[in-house]
Amino acid sequence: MRTAPRRSRWTRALTSVVRACALLAAVSVAVFAVSDLLPSDAVAVRAGAGATAEQLDAMRAAAGLDAPAHERYARWLAGLVTGDAGTSLVNDRPVAVLVGARLPATLTLAGAALLVAVPLTAVLAWAAGAAPPRARSWTAGAVAGLAAVPQPAFVAGLVALFSVAWGVLPPVSLVRAGGSPLDEPTLLVLPSLALAVPIAAYGAGLLGGALADARALPHVRDAELRGVPRWRIATRHVAPFLLAPALRVLAVSAGALVAATAVVETMFGYQGLGELLVSAIATRDVPVVQAVALLASAVVVAGTAAADAAAALTEPVTA
Amino acid sequence: MRGSVGVAALVVLGLAVWGGALAPHDPSSTVAAPWLAPGGDHLLGTDAAGRDVWSRTLSGGRGIVLTSVLAAVAAGAAGTLGGLVAGWYGGWPDRLLSGTADLLLGVPLLLVALVLAVVLPAPAAVVAGAVCGGAPLTLRVVRDAVRRARRTGYVEAALGRGERTPVLLVREVLPGLAGVATADLGLRFVVALQLAAALGMLGLGAQPPAPDWGLMLRENLAGAALNPPALVAPAAALTVTALVAAAFARGTAERRTRLREPAP
Repeated sequence: MRTAPRRSRWTRALTSVVRACALLAAVSVAVFAVSDLLPSDAVAVRAGAGATAEQLDAMRAAAGLDAPAHERYARWLAGLVTGDAGTSLVNDRPVAVLVGARLPATLTLAGAALLVAVPLTAVLAWAAGAAPPRARSWTAGAVAGLAAVPQPAFVAGLVALFSVAWGVLPPVSLVRAGGSPLDEPTLLVLPSLALAVPIAAYGAGLLGGALADARALPHVRDAELRGVPRWRIATRHVAPFLLAPALRVLAVSAGALVAATAVVETMFGYQGLGELLVSAIATRDVPVVQAVALLASAVVVAGTAAADAAAALTEPVTA
Repeated sequence: MRGSVGVAALVVLGLAVWGGALAPHDPSSTVAAPWLAPGGDHLLGTDAAGRDVWSRTLSGGRGIVLTSVLAAVAAGAAGTLGGLVAGWYGGWPDRLLSGTADLLLGVPLLLVALVLAVVLPAPAAVVAGAVCGGAPLTLRVVRDAVRRARRTGYVEAALGRGERTPVLLVREVLPGLAGVATADLGLRFVVALQLAAALGMLGLGAQPPAPDWGLMLRENLAGAALNPPALVAPAAALTVTALVAAAFARGTAERRTRLREPAP
């Protein structure tokens, strides 16, 4: 086998940051290209069906849409950097204002979901990777099954149980205009569970494998034979090998969580960024779709890069 | 045990695709008052528009499951092809393909499918999203398997006989990958089903009054208290379909490890 040249930790950490920048550039081009692929452009959507071809051309020239694609891309990107993401085609409001109004709600929900998801992932991963053999295979199957359930079906199940059958939690999470979701924390319970549980199951599936691998390492086996106490094996011998995979799983889970807000927020009528993205897609409101999609991608890519870099710096060297 | 999972998967998939033939009522038209409770002529009651829930559940899987099968095959084929090339040739083709795969894995596939849904019809967005998010995983698995296979005696023997590469890949390497590819196909199907269900629920897929499990969740969420089966039936259908596919993939993967473990 050809062996790759050994690279230092700092090189690997730097590589993950460079790769993230390249990915973000590629994503921005792809997101921008979506507007060019649309059969009708922004002007045609806004002008309506009655406009003549001459009127449309004049409007395009006025909006700078007759410039070549690379110029329009550069202008769009420059606008994003300076905080001007264009205006919505549906209600003419600045996209930055629309996004800013929804951002706190989604951050609150995602934060609540992570508070549930992180400990749940740890418990499930332990059960799937380190519990006694019999329980382990059973839980690993259950975790894989839970991760397979489609998100909207899981949400429907939660609503059917907690709202319809038991009537303990509201099926809709409408936050009063001007209010914060934290004013009525019960509104957050079902949406954050709906986000956290499938993602914790998915993350635990990944992490459980890493845990089983770490426990099978020769030095761990050796420590067990020498009679080292279990807690000492867990903290001194296994945990260092789990830090890097755990960071990566956290990043992947957080990314999936950001994307899943689209489904969960829509189903609970929660006015966040995910719901904004979905309604903008339904109305072909391209500037809003582009801004929200790029913002979500940037968060995910930055999280993955940070986790990769941290993992590269902390990973123990194996021979 | 393993055989029974395969049979269950076939039965569930068959029922999802052809179950509409068993529907007692037209799934798309109003046949009674809205929100009737289960009983009498309507096994699971009626939905918001007075359509028969049981008939809609039987008919509502066809589009979603066929799309997911297509998406799984497309993702599996793209990933297998990429993995064969990357694993066999190594060097720059490997770096290019594996690098692209790593980049694609960095973006959540639901986000990809949602943005694509602006310009593409929903089934195409599901297929494209599943390929972007699934093919890279298949590529990794196949690439590693091909690298291992390349060093085995039978492939080296064929190389020594002077077999041409495409013939060798198809005749000697691919058959050894059948197990990996089957398990992988099940996982790709589950992911595609999740995407298709999400787009359907978000109203970006099938349009009313067509029966569709995802769309049914959207239509009946608000009135679930009036007739719970209208919400629970499509959710259960989606869940069972995903679970049998996941169990099938898991069983296939485990059988492979059991068979392979004793070998050096």
